[in-house]
Amino acid sequence: MSLAAHTPAPTAPAPPGGAPPAPRPPAGTAAWTAPLRWLRRHAVVLAGCAALGYLLLPNAVVLLFSFNKPAGRFNYAWHAFSTDAWTDPCGVAGLCGSLGLSLRIALLATLLATAFGTLAAFALARYRFRGKSTTNALIFLPMAMPEVVMGASLGTLFLNTRIGFGFVTILIAHVMFCLSFVVVAVKARIMSMDPRLEEAARDLYAGPVQTFWRVTLPLAAPGIAAGAMLSFALSFDDFIITQFNAGPSTVTFPMFVWGAAQRGVPVQVNVVGSAMFVLAVAVVLAGRLAASRRRTQERKAAAG
Amino acid sequence: MTILLSGVSKTFGDFTAVHPLDLSVPEGSFFALLGASGCGKTTTLRMLAGLEEPSSGRVLLGDDDITGLPPHRRPVNTVFQNYALFPHLDVAENIAFGLRRRRTGRIRAQVDEMLDLVQLGALAHRKPRQLSGGQQQRVALARALVNRPRVLLLDEPLGALDLKLRRRMQLELKRIQTEVGITFVHVTHDQEEAMTMADTVAVMNEGRVEQLGAPWELYEHPRTPFVANFLGTSNLLRGEPVGPGGEEGDDSAGDGALRVRVAGAPAPLRLPRPPAAAGTAADGAGTGGTSAEETAVGEAGTGGTSAEGTAVGEAATGGPLLLGVRPEKIALAPADAAHTVPEGHNALPGRITDAGYLGVSLTYIVETDACRELTVYAQNVERDTRLTPGTRVVAHWSPAHTFGLDAQGHGQDATAGREAP
Repeated sequence: MSLAAHTPAPTAPAPPGGAPPAPRPPAGTAAWTAPLRWLRRHAVVLAGCAALGYLLLPNAVVLLFSFNKPAGRFNYAWHAFSTDAWTDPCGVAGLCGSLGLSLRIALLATLLATAFGTLAAFALARYRFRGKSTTNALIFLPMAMPEVVMGASLGTLFLNTRIGFGFVTILIAHVMFCLSFVVVAVKARIMSMDPRLEEAARDLYAGPVQTFWRVTLPLAAPGIAAGAMLSFALSFDDFIITQFNAGPSTVTFPMFVWGAAQRGVPVQVNVVGSAMFVLAVAVVLAGRLAASRRRTQERKAAAG
Repeated sequence: MTILLSGVSKTFGDFTAVHPLDLSVPEGSFFALLGASGCGKTTTLRMLAGLEEPSSGRVLLGDDDITGLPPHRRPVNTVFQNYALFPHLDVAENIAFGLRRRRTGRIRAQVDEMLDLVQLGALAHRKPRQLSGGQQQRVALARALVNRPRVLLLDEPLGALDLKLRRRMQLELKRIQTEVGITFVHVTHDQEEAMTMADTVAVMNEGRVEQLGAPWELYEHPRTPFVANFLGTSNLLRGEPVGPGGEEGDDSAGDGALRVRVAGAPAPLRLPRPPAAAGTAADGAGTGGTSAEETAVGEAGTGGTSAEGTAVGEAATGGPLLLGVRPEKIALAPADAAHTVPEGHNALPGRITDAGYLGVSLTYIVETDACRELTVYAQNVERDTRLTPGTRVVAHWSPAHTFGLDAQGHGQDATAGREAP
């Protein structure tokens, strides 16, 4: 495409020898290369938009069908516009219960995994001890292992230790795989921190505890936040591992959706999905906005 | 506050970073630890700050033993290399950090005062990354000084700045030190920086203090080949003393100078007697060596030779020695004008092999039988156009500008301390 745009360029040198004098560029050439040139200039933007569309289209469909009033049990064909599902999201038996359970597990798992993961990351990044490389490898394992294998083996373990399947087993499983992601995120952050900053704090009369709260933690915070958000997202929508380790009465939201899909998905599932999506986008946007406002203020302070 | 290190050493595994060291830094002085990287100067500074625990010895601040005190309990603050400003705090909060930890009153007022001192009042609410290198350096200085420490430690504080800014900050640091009057201990690898700012310089090499004294003293009377080469440039010639009354010695001048026979030199070269310690101090009274006399250095306990025993006095007892002369002290006379060489000067005939024009000065390399590359600097006042490469010349200098070094001690040869080519 780009070659075609180049060849008739008027700057091309005239062939040497007895060729006729270089002709004026034909008027038609410019006319048909113009759209090509436009395309070339905007190729990156176009590709970006296409990728975004590819990513967002399913979400748009979910959102659209949350306003559907399906004719039968299946919410797969557009029938009529309605806000019934939005006004009564808990209208389906078991949905809100499972949603609450999933949120509780995700919050608790995030809290525990972030706390333990941060501690582990500090140990692995700061200290040398026997078995450090083994620990590093083991931490990485849950990320690399197929979920089915992990879920099944955990299930076997719980069965043999006679821990009753339920809330606790799901929580333990989630904390375990979330931990890896927290450790990786926090460790990367700690490794890139300048150790002299903590020395400077100690030099400036901050004891070990104050050094940690005033300098170390604020500097590690972005890594910890990233790990926590990842944990929440992973725990909230995990299905495979949860399926192996849930009790008969503990149905998480992904499990509820899976179960419902066998008999026909209620519109409310689309409502919950859309709401989660909008909420997540809103949180990210708010963060961006706050950051850019802070930057503007700093710039203003700098200028003033 | 006087700092006293007594027998302080530091080992990391089987590597000795600092050999047992005795050092005293008088109150209110500007003290420089000078040396190449890896010589133990930063480790010494970190032991003063409390960031490194000495393997042996004691650190005293005034009358208090602070050897075991953690850094946050020491009345000492540090300006770190690359400044180590807290990136999540703005300039004012960086400066207030130490005050807040100690819960002193009037924090706002003290921070403003300090911002004025370093002329950064307008930038109080910027984050460190929005500042230039020179501004960051001043914030680091203010952050340390605001706590009114009894000693300020500076770890290569100007290393990250460009040459012009470094010159300006050198003067500014010196001004601030005079203004606040506290003891500054400054670590640097830049000999010019140490010479410009410090009252007393300790030259360190491989974990030991080679020599300590006022800048002029180190330059005019180096005691080891390392110091002679690390501070500026030296021409070192190997020779054997023949004594003032020796059979070849010519003591007709009666100057009492030692005669040293150097292979290739037409006549023995003269080396003045080592000046007595008191004499040295008197020499330097006008040059600003205020604290050199009070400052003592030596190596304690297990360390090697004492620094005192390495001067010329020992060499005079017979062994071979190194004769040194600074390039700017040497004058060149064309061979046919050799009669213009003043009576009693040390003289070496030779041939110019290289001449460099630097504008303010000229550099000649002279090949002599005694020394293959004798470096000579000449002020560019009235350039002698006869001095071109290939010309035969006589290099001569006043015996008073000659210094002697023990050729065997220190395990150093004549090239120790020279920068790699």
